[in-house]
Amino acid sequence: MISQMHVKGLMFDPYNNAYIVVLRDDENSDMLPIWVGKSEAGAISMSLENVTPPRPMTHDFMKSLLDAYNAKVISVVITDLSEHTYFSKIHLMYEDSEYTVDARPSDAIALALRSNAPVFANNSVITKQSSEELEQWLENLKPEDFGKLDS
Amino acid sequence: MSTVDLPKEQDLVEYRVDRILEEANTDTRIVVLTRQDGALDTFPIWVGAAEGNAIKLALDTMITPRPMSHDLIKSFAEHLNITIQRVVIVDVKSSTYYAMVHVSNKGVDRTIDARPSDAISLALRAPCPIYITQDVLKRRSTTNLDAWLAKLESKDIGTPEVQET
Repeated sequence: MISQMHVKGLMFDPYNNAYIVVLRDDENSDMLPIWVGKSEAGAISMSLENVTPPRPMTHDFMKSLLDAYNAKVISVVITDLSEHTYFSKIHLMYEDSEYTVDARPSDAIALALRSNAPVFANNSVITKQSSEELEQWLENLKPEDFGKLDS
Repeated sequence: MSTVDLPKEQDLVEYRVDRILEEANTDTRIVVLTRQDGALDTFPIWVGAAEGNAIKLALDTMITPRPMSHDLIKSFAEHLNITIQRVVIVDVKSSTYYAMVHVSNKGVDRTIDARPSDAISLALRAPCPIYITQDVLKRRSTTNLDAWLAKLESKDIGTPEVQET
Protein backbone atom coordinates (compact mmCIF):
# COMPACT_ATOMS: atom_id res chain seq x y z
CA MET A 1 0.00 0.00 0.00
CA ILE A 2 1.19 3.47 -0.79
CA SER A 3 -0.19 6.87 0.21
CA GLN A 4 0.15 10.11 -1.64
CA MET A 5 2.15 12.65 0.33
CA HIS A 6 2.36 16.42 0.00
CA VAL A 7 5.43 18.48 0.66
CA LYS A 8 4.27 20.73 3.47
CA GLY A 9 7.46 22.63 4.03
CA LEU A 10 10.97 22.74 5.31
CA MET A 11 12.23 23.26 8.82
CA PHE A 12 15.70 23.85 10.16
CA ASP A 13 16.94 21.37 12.73
CA PRO A 14 19.47 23.32 14.79
CA TYR A 15 20.50 20.24 16.79
CA ASN A 16 21.70 18.31 13.77
CA ASN A 17 22.47 21.38 11.66
CA ALA A 18 20.28 19.92 8.94
CA TYR A 19 16.93 20.56 7.31
CA ILE A 20 13.74 18.53 7.53
CA VAL A 21 11.39 18.11 4.59
CA VAL A 22 7.94 17.55 6.04
CA LEU A 23 5.63 15.30 4.04
CA ARG A 24 1.99 14.81 5.02
CA ASP A 25 -0.62 12.51 3.59
CA ASP A 26 -3.96 13.62 2.12
CA GLU A 27 -5.85 13.39 5.39
CA ASN A 28 -3.08 15.14 7.29
CA SER A 29 -2.99 12.16 9.63
CA ASP A 30 0.45 10.80 8.82
CA MET A 31 3.60 12.81 8.72
CA LEU A 32 6.95 11.81 7.29
CA PRO A 33 9.94 13.96 8.21
CA ILE A 34 13.01 13.51 6.02
CA TRP A 35 16.34 14.96 7.07
CA VAL A 36 18.32 16.47 4.20
CA GLY A 37 21.47 18.56 3.78
CA LYS A 38 21.62 22.30 3.21
CA SER A 39 22.07 22.32 -0.57
CA GLU A 40 19.39 19.64 -0.99
CA ALA A 41 17.02 21.75 1.13
CA GLY A 42 17.86 24.74 -1.06
CA ALA A 43 16.88 22.80 -4.18
CA ILE A 44 13.52 21.90 -2.64
CA SER A 45 12.91 25.34 -1.17
CA MET A 46 13.37 27.06 -4.56
CA SER A 47 10.58 24.93 -6.00
CA LEU A 48 8.27 25.43 -3.03
CA GLU A 49 8.71 29.18 -3.22
CA ASN A 50 8.57 29.27 -7.04
CA VAL A 51 11.92 30.98 -7.25
CA THR A 52 13.47 30.99 -10.70
CA PRO A 53 17.24 31.25 -10.30
CA PRO A 54 19.21 33.18 -12.95
CA ARG A 55 21.07 30.01 -13.92
CA PRO A 56 19.65 26.46 -13.95
CA MET A 57 20.30 24.68 -10.67
CA THR A 58 21.25 20.98 -10.67
CA HIS A 59 17.64 19.74 -10.62
CA ASP A 60 16.61 22.24 -13.30
CA PHE A 61 19.36 20.81 -15.47
CA MET A 62 18.17 17.28 -14.60
CA LYS A 63 14.68 18.21 -15.77
CA SER A 64 16.05 19.85 -18.96
CA LEU A 65 17.80 16.61 -19.85
CA LEU A 66 14.56 14.63 -19.43
CA ASP A 67 12.59 17.31 -21.33
CA ALA A 68 15.11 17.23 -24.19
CA TYR A 69 14.01 13.66 -24.95
CA ASN A 70 10.40 13.93 -23.82
CA ALA A 71 10.91 11.70 -20.82
CA LYS A 72 8.30 12.36 -18.12
CA VAL A 73 8.53 11.93 -14.38
CA ILE A 74 5.34 9.99 -13.54
CA SER A 75 5.81 9.68 -9.83
CA VAL A 76 8.22 9.42 -6.95
CA VAL A 77 7.90 6.81 -4.22
CA ILE A 78 9.64 6.82 -0.85
CA THR A 79 10.13 3.08 -0.65
CA ASP A 80 12.11 2.21 2.43
CA LEU A 81 13.67 3.40 5.62
CA SER A 82 16.73 1.55 6.81
CA GLU A 83 19.10 2.69 9.55
CA HIS A 84 17.92 6.31 9.37
CA THR A 85 18.31 6.41 5.58
CA TYR A 86 15.31 6.82 3.32
CA PHE A 87 15.28 5.18 -0.09
CA SER A 88 13.19 6.28 -3.02
CA LYS A 89 12.42 5.49 -6.63
CA ILE A 90 11.70 7.82 -9.53
CA HIS A 91 9.31 6.43 -12.13
CA LEU A 92 9.90 7.72 -15.65
CA MET A 93 7.91 7.29 -18.83
CA TYR A 94 9.92 7.37 -22.02
CA GLU A 95 8.75 6.20 -25.44
CA ASP A 96 5.91 4.10 -23.98
CA SER A 97 8.20 2.32 -21.54
CA GLU A 98 8.42 2.82 -17.83
CA TYR A 99 11.78 3.11 -16.08
CA THR A 100 12.45 3.00 -12.36
CA VAL A 101 15.53 4.82 -11.08
CA ASP A 102 17.02 4.65 -7.58
CA ALA A 103 17.45 8.08 -5.93
CA ARG A 104 17.88 9.84 -2.64
CA PRO A 105 14.54 11.28 -1.47
CA SER A 106 15.96 14.82 -1.61
CA ASP A 107 16.74 14.47 -5.33
CA ALA A 108 13.46 12.66 -5.99
CA ILE A 109 11.39 15.34 -4.23
CA ALA A 110 13.29 18.25 -5.83
CA LEU A 111 12.62 16.70 -9.25
CA ALA A 112 8.98 15.81 -8.48
CA LEU A 113 8.25 19.42 -7.50
CA ARG A 114 9.75 20.68 -10.77
CA SER A 115 7.84 18.09 -12.80
CA ASN A 116 4.49 18.46 -11.02
CA ALA A 117 4.68 14.74 -10.30
CA PRO A 118 3.02 13.18 -7.26
CA VAL A 119 5.05 11.92 -4.30
CA PHE A 120 4.02 8.67 -2.63
CA ALA A 121 5.30 6.81 0.40
CA ASN A 122 5.09 3.13 1.17
CA ASN A 123 2.91 2.68 4.22
CA SER A 124 5.60 0.52 5.79
CA VAL A 125 7.90 3.56 5.77
CA ILE A 126 5.29 5.68 7.51
CA THR A 127 4.80 2.98 10.14
CA LYS A 128 8.52 2.55 10.62
CA GLN A 129 9.05 6.23 11.16
CA SER A 130 8.05 6.36 14.77
CA SER A 131 6.45 9.67 15.46
CA GLU A 132 7.94 9.65 18.93
CA GLU A 133 11.27 10.86 17.70
CA LEU A 134 9.75 13.83 15.95
CA GLU A 135 7.41 14.72 18.78
CA GLN A 136 10.27 14.71 21.20
CA TRP A 137 12.20 16.91 18.85
CA LEU A 138 9.26 19.28 18.38
CA GLU A 139 8.89 19.66 22.14
CA ASN A 140 12.46 20.85 22.36
CA LEU A 141 11.94 23.48 19.70
CA LYS A 142 11.95 27.10 20.67
CA PRO A 143 9.71 29.59 18.84
CA GLU A 144 12.71 31.31 17.29
CA ASP A 145 13.64 28.09 15.49
CA PHE A 146 10.69 28.62 13.17
CA GLY A 147 12.34 31.41 11.25
CA LYS A 148 12.30 31.82 7.54
CA LEU A 149 14.49 29.30 5.84
CA ASP A 150 17.59 30.93 4.53
CA SER A 151 18.96 29.05 1.59
CA MET B 1 18.37 23.97 -24.97
CA SER B 2 19.72 27.03 -26.59
CA THR B 3 19.49 28.82 -29.85
CA VAL B 4 23.03 30.22 -29.82
CA ASP B 5 25.37 29.13 -32.58
CA LEU B 6 27.32 26.09 -31.55
CA PRO B 7 31.06 26.64 -31.50
CA LYS B 8 33.02 24.96 -34.25
CA GLU B 9 35.26 22.02 -33.54
CA GLN B 10 38.49 23.94 -34.25
CA ASP B 11 37.49 26.63 -31.76
CA LEU B 12 37.45 24.20 -28.85
CA VAL B 13 40.36 23.56 -26.50
CA GLU B 14 40.20 20.50 -24.28
CA TYR B 15 40.78 20.90 -20.55
CA ARG B 16 40.75 18.54 -17.62
CA VAL B 17 40.05 19.03 -13.93
CA ASP B 18 43.39 19.35 -12.19
CA ARG B 19 42.21 19.94 -8.65
CA ILE B 20 39.68 21.59 -6.38
CA LEU B 21 40.93 24.28 -4.05
CA GLU B 22 39.19 25.30 -0.87
CA GLU B 23 38.99 28.95 -0.15
CA ALA B 24 39.57 29.52 3.53
CA ASN B 25 36.66 30.98 5.49
CA THR B 26 34.30 31.12 2.54
CA ASP B 27 31.61 28.92 1.11
CA THR B 28 33.33 28.68 -2.25
CA ARG B 29 35.66 26.29 -4.02
CA ILE B 30 37.92 26.86 -7.00
CA VAL B 31 37.86 24.28 -9.77
CA VAL B 32 41.23 24.43 -11.48
CA LEU B 33 41.18 23.27 -15.09
CA THR B 34 44.40 22.64 -17.02
CA ARG B 35 44.95 21.96 -20.69
CA GLN B 36 44.62 18.34 -21.71
CA ASP B 37 47.50 18.65 -24.22
CA GLY B 38 49.91 19.66 -21.48
CA ALA B 39 50.34 23.27 -22.64
CA LEU B 40 50.72 25.59 -19.71
CA ASP B 41 47.46 27.22 -18.80
CA THR B 42 45.24 27.06 -15.78
CA PHE B 43 41.63 28.08 -15.92
CA PRO B 44 40.04 28.64 -12.50
CA ILE B 45 36.28 28.61 -11.99
CA TRP B 46 34.72 29.68 -8.71
CA VAL B 47 31.85 27.47 -7.58
CA GLY B 48 29.78 26.95 -4.43
CA ALA B 49 30.87 24.53 -1.72
CA ALA B 50 28.22 21.91 -2.54
CA GLU B 51 29.05 22.11 -6.25
CA GLY B 52 32.78 21.88 -5.52
CA ASN B 53 32.23 18.86 -3.30
CA ALA B 54 30.21 17.13 -6.02
CA ILE B 55 33.13 17.60 -8.41
CA LYS B 56 35.65 16.49 -5.80
CA LEU B 57 33.75 13.25 -5.18
CA ALA B 58 33.98 12.43 -8.89
CA LEU B 59 37.61 13.53 -9.17
CA ASP B 60 38.60 11.26 -6.28
CA THR B 61 36.36 8.49 -7.74
CA MET B 62 34.66 8.21 -4.38
CA ILE B 63 31.70 5.86 -4.23
CA THR B 64 29.00 7.23 -1.97
CA PRO B 65 26.58 4.85 -0.26
CA ARG B 66 23.67 6.61 -1.99
CA PRO B 67 23.63 8.20 -5.46
CA MET B 68 24.43 11.91 -5.40
CA SER B 69 22.55 14.31 -7.70
CA HIS B 70 24.97 13.95 -10.63
CA ASP B 71 25.06 10.18 -10.21
CA LEU B 72 21.29 10.34 -10.62
CA ILE B 73 21.64 12.37 -13.82
CA LYS B 74 24.09 9.77 -15.14
CA SER B 75 21.69 7.04 -14.11
CA PHE B 76 18.86 8.73 -16.06
CA ALA B 77 21.12 8.91 -19.11
CA GLU B 78 22.00 5.23 -18.79
CA HIS B 79 18.39 4.15 -18.39
CA LEU B 80 17.24 6.17 -21.41
CA ASN B 81 20.34 5.37 -23.53
CA ILE B 82 21.40 8.99 -23.68
CA THR B 83 25.13 9.45 -24.38
CA ILE B 84 26.77 12.43 -22.71
CA GLN B 85 29.20 13.42 -25.45
CA ARG B 86 30.99 16.48 -24.18
CA VAL B 87 30.62 19.62 -22.17
CA VAL B 88 31.71 23.00 -23.45
CA ILE B 89 32.20 26.26 -21.59
CA VAL B 90 30.72 28.55 -24.19
CA ASP B 91 30.32 32.00 -22.70
CA VAL B 92 31.23 34.39 -19.93
CA LYS B 93 29.07 37.32 -18.90
CA SER B 94 29.69 39.51 -15.85
CA SER B 95 32.15 36.98 -14.41
CA THR B 96 29.65 34.11 -14.83
CA TYR B 97 30.58 31.21 -17.04
CA TYR B 98 28.00 29.40 -19.16
CA ALA B 99 28.27 25.78 -20.22
CA MET B 100 26.52 23.48 -22.67
CA VAL B 101 26.15 19.75 -22.23
CA HIS B 102 26.03 17.89 -25.55
CA VAL B 103 23.94 14.74 -25.46
CA SER B 104 22.84 12.25 -28.06
CA ASN B 105 20.22 9.54 -28.26
CA LYS B 106 19.66 7.42 -31.36
CA GLY B 107 21.14 10.09 -33.59
CA VAL B 108 19.13 12.90 -32.00
CA ASP B 109 21.60 15.47 -30.67
CA ARG B 110 20.65 18.04 -28.08
CA THR B 111 22.55 20.72 -26.18
CA ILE B 112 21.47 21.62 -22.68
CA ASP B 113 22.25 24.85 -20.88
CA ALA B 114 24.09 24.25 -17.61
CA ARG B 115 26.22 25.87 -14.98
CA PRO B 116 29.88 24.85 -15.45
CA SER B 117 29.80 23.13 -12.04
CA ASP B 118 26.99 20.79 -13.12
CA ALA B 119 28.58 20.26 -16.53
CA ILE B 120 31.99 19.40 -15.07
CA SER B 121 30.50 17.21 -12.35
CA LEU B 122 28.66 15.25 -15.01
CA ALA B 123 31.64 15.15 -17.41
CA LEU B 124 33.80 13.46 -14.78
CA ARG B 125 31.13 10.86 -14.14
CA ALA B 126 30.11 10.19 -17.75
CA PRO B 127 33.08 10.36 -18.51
CA CYS B 128 33.35 12.80 -21.40
CA PRO B 129 35.75 15.55 -22.48
CA ILE B 130 35.54 19.14 -21.22
CA TYR B 131 36.17 21.94 -23.71
CA ILE B 132 36.49 25.71 -23.47
CA THR B 133 35.93 27.84 -26.56
CA GLN B 134 38.75 30.06 -27.85
CA ASP B 135 36.38 32.98 -27.43
CA VAL B 136 35.92 32.31 -23.70
CA LEU B 137 39.67 31.75 -23.27
CA LYS B 138 40.24 35.20 -24.76
CA ARG B 139 37.54 36.89 -22.72
CA ARG B 140 38.14 34.94 -19.53
CA SER B 141 37.10 36.62 -16.36
CA THR B 142 39.94 37.76 -14.16
CA THR B 143 37.78 39.59 -11.65
CA ASN B 144 37.74 36.75 -9.16
CA LEU B 145 41.35 35.87 -9.77
CA ASP B 146 42.51 39.45 -9.21
CA ALA B 147 40.52 39.69 -5.99
CA TRP B 148 41.87 36.36 -4.86
CA LEU B 149 45.47 37.25 -5.65
CA ALA B 150 45.06 40.57 -3.88
CA LYS B 151 43.94 38.73 -0.75
CA LEU B 152 46.85 36.33 -1.05
CA GLU B 153 49.32 39.15 -1.37
CA SER B 154 48.23 40.75 1.84
CA LYS B 155 48.42 37.52 3.80
CA ASP B 156 50.66 34.92 2.31
CA ILE B 157 53.31 36.64 0.34
CA GLY B 158 56.11 38.02 2.42
CA THR B 159 57.17 34.78 4.01
CA PRO B 160 58.71 33.10 1.00
CA GLU B 161 59.95 29.61 1.55
CA VAL B 162 63.42 29.32 0.23
CA GLN B 163 64.09 25.89 -1.12
CA GLU B 164 67.46 24.78 -2.24
CA THR B 165 67.78 21.76 -4.39
